Amino acid sequence: MYVRLFSAIWLLLCVWLAFVAWGFEAPFAYDPVGPRAYPLLLLALMGAGSLWLIFKPGLMEQQLHIPTVKRSVLCVVALLAYAVTFEPLGFILSTALAVLVLGLLFTGRLVPCIISAVLMGVLLFVLFDYLLDVPLPLGVLEAFVES
Amino acid sequence: MDTLNYLMQGFDVATRPVNLLVALFGAFVGTVVGLLPGLGPINGVALLLPLAFALGLPPETALILLAAVYLGCEYGGRISAILLNVPGDAAAVMTTLDGYPLARQGKAGIALSLSAVSSFVGSIIATCGVVLFAPILAKWAVAFGPAEYFVLMIFAIACLGGMVGDKPVKTLMAALIGLALATVGVDSTTGVYRFTFGSVSLSDGIQFVIVVIGFFSVSEVLLMLEKTHSGQKAVKASGRLLFNFKEFCETFWTMIRSSVAGFVIGTLPGAGATIASAMTYMTEKRMAGPKGKFGEGDLRGLAAPEAANNASACGSLIPMLTLGVPGSGTTAVMIGALTLYNITPGPLLFEQQPDVVWGLIASLFIGNVILLVMNIPLVGLFSRMLSVPNWVLVPAITVISMVGVYAVHSTTFDLVLMIVLGVFGYILRKLDFPLSAVILGFVLGELMEDNLRRALSISAGDLNILWSSPITLALWALVVLMLALPGIRWWRARNKAQMANA
Repeated sequence: MYVRLFSAIWLLLCVWLAFVAWGFEAPFAYDPVGPRAYPLLLLALMGAGSLWLIFKPGLMEQQLHIPTVKRSVLCVVALLAYAVTFEPLGFILSTALAVLVLGLLFTGRLVPCIISAVLMGVLLFVLFDYLLDVPLPLGVLEAFVES
Repeated sequence: MDTLNYLMQGFDVATRPVNLLVALFGAFVGTVVGLLPGLGPINGVALLLPLAFALGLPPETALILLAAVYLGCEYGGRISAILLNVPGDAAAVMTTLDGYPLARQGKAGIALSLSAVSSFVGSIIATCGVVLFAPILAKWAVAFGPAEYFVLMIFAIACLGGMVGDKPVKTLMAALIGLALATVGVDSTTGVYRFTFGSVSLSDGIQFVIVVIGFFSVSEVLLMLEKTHSGQKAVKASGRLLFNFKEFCETFWTMIRSSVAGFVIGTLPGAGATIASAMTYMTEKRMAGPKGKFGEGDLRGLAAPEAANNASACGSLIPMLTLGVPGSGTTAVMIGALTLYNITPGPLLFEQQPDVVWGLIASLFIGNVILLVMNIPLVGLFSRMLSVPNWVLVPAITVISMVGVYAVHSTTFDLVLMIVLGVFGYILRKLDFPLSAVILGFVLGELMEDNLRRALSISAGDLNILWSSPITLALWALVVLMLALPGIRWWRARNKAQMANA
């Protein structure tokens, strides 16, 4: 069932992308193929594959488990929040927050999660920024660090 | 003779202190990543790739690191398979069948040490195979023109569909999705922006690291969320820690046979360690006949898949190094790593970058010795890592993924894109589309389009060039065979069912 749904959505997406791809035209013809043919070929093949899967989705009956879906959505939201706060809050704060939330989501207890959050935020920053030379944002903590 | 000279040169590169250190580190990290359930070689390589790049390691060192991680994962996967009955990665599924019963019988120490030696034998035999055959194939592959390459890549994708077997359409769809993702960004020949929707961040395409980490780490985190099981108790490794001479003799020929088979399967583009270990296990089971205790703790059932999966891991380096076409999801990631360094893998690599190629091959020998030495005495330490709880493990994976992606471009856009791709990968996984096919498609995408267009430029748009040389014709025949395989299998199964009914 879900395979059918996915294939149908994918088919529509392919059609729409094909319209987009139709507009790819080079001002000069550098080569006989041009930028348009190859994406269109792929989209056509994917469309055919989607059609096949709509008619023959295969044996796969899966039931959505509502509590799991809820937790998955929460997890995605937490990850997105982490991504968005990564630069403004800085690595240490956003990491500590994300580790705490994810830890709780993965059935950790509060106090150990807080400890691991603080440890990971600080230690990983030291590890990456100082030892491994990967520049990471300091964000709001920038003011406390003399440059 | 040439080969030996080159190999010596390779050992020179591989024994530089930095490279030895990196191999040691990679082997350790690889074993840990391999033994953690859910994390496989692709995750390990994907997590370390941006780090290697950000650290500014030279290409040969970075490649040695990734290869050590790859091998280490194949070693590590067996530990959780034997002690927990949970395969550490997909290729270790077969190891659980006989490994766990052995552990239950109090022979965990024997099982662990014997499987370490099988892994070692498998890798060494396959590495010798790489030394022997890779230069020959490379010399032969220089004759390949763009048309031949294009058809070869089609063959690699068809192989995926034909070998995976039970879901050819989904596999091919997955590969197409990967190919399509690779078209995003500015077209290299004409400078036309494709599928960027006006976004500047997408103009040079979706970064390889973002795709790999999104698809494999983020979707893994979401999958682990479903399985927050309360932790199975690992079997304590007790009793004799080392196998004895008799047990070794019993399994010796199994190891040799499985290694050779694993190597051959590994060299086929598309067919990886999972298929190799399953096939050798079945063969050994059939050869042992009713006398074997397969499934209840037969040592041969342990040695066969372990030797085969390591052998195929090394074997899959052959198509990667000589043709530039990956033989497995993990080698696809390694090709991506090479392109980050502006090195295009292919037959010319042997002439232009002998340090990289032979350094890598020599480091396989060294890495295997390191792994064998590390794995037998340190098994206790590794098995203790199985008890790291998820609420520490998952946040750690997340943070390392974020840092890895951020290290490439330092933009928030990339981080968000990674999560979006991760959710997409998760959905694909839930619907049973193989993600390694997506990665393979993504890596091949640009090469495939370039070669197609170059071929057609040569012939001024005449499509005949795609099937005019004997090599292309032979490859097309193989493509047809591979695409027909699932159909033939289905037809035979149906016939058998009818025979049984009649």
